Amino acid sequence: MRFRFPRHLLAAVLGLVCLTPAARALAHGLVLVMNSGEASLSVVDMGSHREIRRIPVLREPHHWALTRDGRDLLVGDTGGNELLDLDPTSFALRRRVPVADPYQLGFSPDGRFLTVNGNGRNQVDIYDAATLKLIKRFPLSRTPSHLDYAPDGSRVFVTLQDTARMVAIDLRTMAVVWDEPVGKVPAGVIWLNGRLVVALMGEDGLAVVNPATGHVERRIRTGAGAHQVFLSPDRKILWVNNRVAGTTVALDAATLSEIRGYRVTGGPDDIAFAPDGKLWITQRFTRSLAVLDPATGQIEEIAVGRQPHGIFINPNADPATLSASN
Amino acid sequence: MFSLTLPFDLAAGWLQEHAILPVLYALGLMNWEEVAFGWALFAVYGATQVVLTYAICLPLERWRPVERWPDSRAVTVDILYTLISRVGLLPLVTFVLFYRIQVFLNGWITDQGWVPPTLEGVFPFLLGRPVLTFLLYVVILDLSEYWRHRLSHLFDWWYSLHALHHAQRQMTFWSDDRNHLLDDLIGFVWFMVVALLIGIPPMQFPLLVLLLRFVESLSHANVRLRFGWLGERLLVSPRFHRAHHGLMAAGVASVNYGGVLPWWDMLFRTADFGHDYVPTGDPTAEEVLATGGYAAQQRAGVKRFLRALAGFSAGEAKLMGMPPPRHRR
Repeated sequence: MRFRFPRHLLAAVLGLVCLTPAARALAHGLVLVMNSGEASLSVVDMGSHREIRRIPVLREPHHWALTRDGRDLLVGDTGGNELLDLDPTSFALRRRVPVADPYQLGFSPDGRFLTVNGNGRNQVDIYDAATLKLIKRFPLSRTPSHLDYAPDGSRVFVTLQDTARMVAIDLRTMAVVWDEPVGKVPAGVIWLNGRLVVALMGEDGLAVVNPATGHVERRIRTGAGAHQVFLSPDRKILWVNNRVAGTTVALDAATLSEIRGYRVTGGPDDIAFAPDGKLWITQRFTRSLAVLDPATGQIEEIAVGRQPHGIFINPNADPATLSASN
Repeated sequence: MFSLTLPFDLAAGWLQEHAILPVLYALGLMNWEEVAFGWALFAVYGATQVVLTYAICLPLERWRPVERWPDSRAVTVDILYTLISRVGLLPLVTFVLFYRIQVFLNGWITDQGWVPPTLEGVFPFLLGRPVLTFLLYVVILDLSEYWRHRLSHLFDWWYSLHALHHAQRQMTFWSDDRNHLLDDLIGFVWFMVVALLIGIPPMQFPLLVLLLRFVESLSHANVRLRFGWLGERLLVSPRFHRAHHGLMAAGVASVNYGGVLPWWDMLFRTADFGHDYVPTGDPTAEEVLATGGYAAQQRAGVKRFLRALAGFSAGEAKLMGMPPPRHRR
């Protein structure tokens, strides 16, 4: 008989080791958190799990996008109507770019376009990624929320939260190719295995949508108020945050069957993945981050600013490299 | 990092997570989630304002009252005004409307190639200095409130609405929010225009707003309280503001219009530091405006407003068996 080491025991031991102060001291990396409720960015040291800096911004930072070359981190200050171009390692401000109502934003996989959702102004703007010049504006009703691209960069898909619909914009012809109902209050969206997976905040799970037609093919139950979907770095697990249920659920990315659910309170929102396998989750209602170890289910909370929303991890950044100008 | 606002934010977060979200979800209203959280924050700070004001002002009023009333039922309606204004629907409407208009307008300005106006844009050194920034906002907004208040006494039609605020003969710390809804609406539009011009960020300074609202409530308190010669010239005191509510000051010839800072009255020569604890009320106001219920007062305010718009003179109103539209001295 072949000996099999009990994986759960191993995971538990590794989890405990990872949480010890000695292990933390060895860890590197910085986490940038967008505090949408108090016009600031929190910088958290991944080693000590403490907020070490609070960077003031103008009004209301929500989300971020990293350029394809990884050299510029753009943070959207929605209420401030500007993009903040930051050094992704030191978080030093390089420039401020006036952009109307930048809520969600993302670069296309081919690096040609930057899509900016104006959630309050009901518009989706397509910018030239290199020059940040506006190419085309799509007035879309209402509240463009989250976005993702087709892998070839030919289309961008945007959820319209208040009208239960989603649109597909062809980036070659710069035209809306479909505008279809997908379910109540659609929020997070991700391209997965040739389909679009959409989190439905007004329902108890996800809609699987055909990207060619916009028709819903399947529904997956994950929990009440499904808000965001993130694919793990190894592309094996689809993580879903359920805002009302207060859970974070792991789905098998191939089958979309549930692997395990975790209780994550405080309005779980965005997720960033650490190299050690832990999930860093913003908690909108409790001014904190939840650091979830999927192996053990253990959660540690870290205090940050009010209404933390977007979260960016740079495991190569070090507190010593943090810009003195911030 | 330590934050004084943490307990308030956590209370609002708890309210959102455990009370509001489940209801919104059950009713199929999850698209109101963000708005609801904004209201939860307003409501928590508003409720704290009410409790704090009550806890401090009530002992003061018991300790050294200006007046004692055998029957203070007329004060009850002022409590309702306060709750509606600080905890209820009004903060929600204000927040949602202001935020949406700000997003649209500032986005449009950005599209035109301009940078939307903010104080931090004019004075970049303010970025990262929230307390200093807020104090500057306070000074500007208080100046604009001084002029709004002064003009509300100047125009017949406007004072016909504002008279409700002055009609209270039993003025207490609850009286700060007794305003006609239309008067509140004008006040909101006025605030919005100024706030858009200087780029007020909603809900970024909730604790300081709480303190300022406390000063305004205290200034209406039924208490013999003065801040001393210098203090009275730095901050509006109950004694200073009571002169504004005096029987002889109702209408166009009032004094002491300032809300938080008495500086503007001193600058524009409307300050009166000479009166000590005068009786309050508006002799020209209908009785219902002083002692009626909430709905009756709102109705009476609308009628008075329509009469003023129609341009009835006091004599014409008397001939028609109606109270004069306003008191002009």
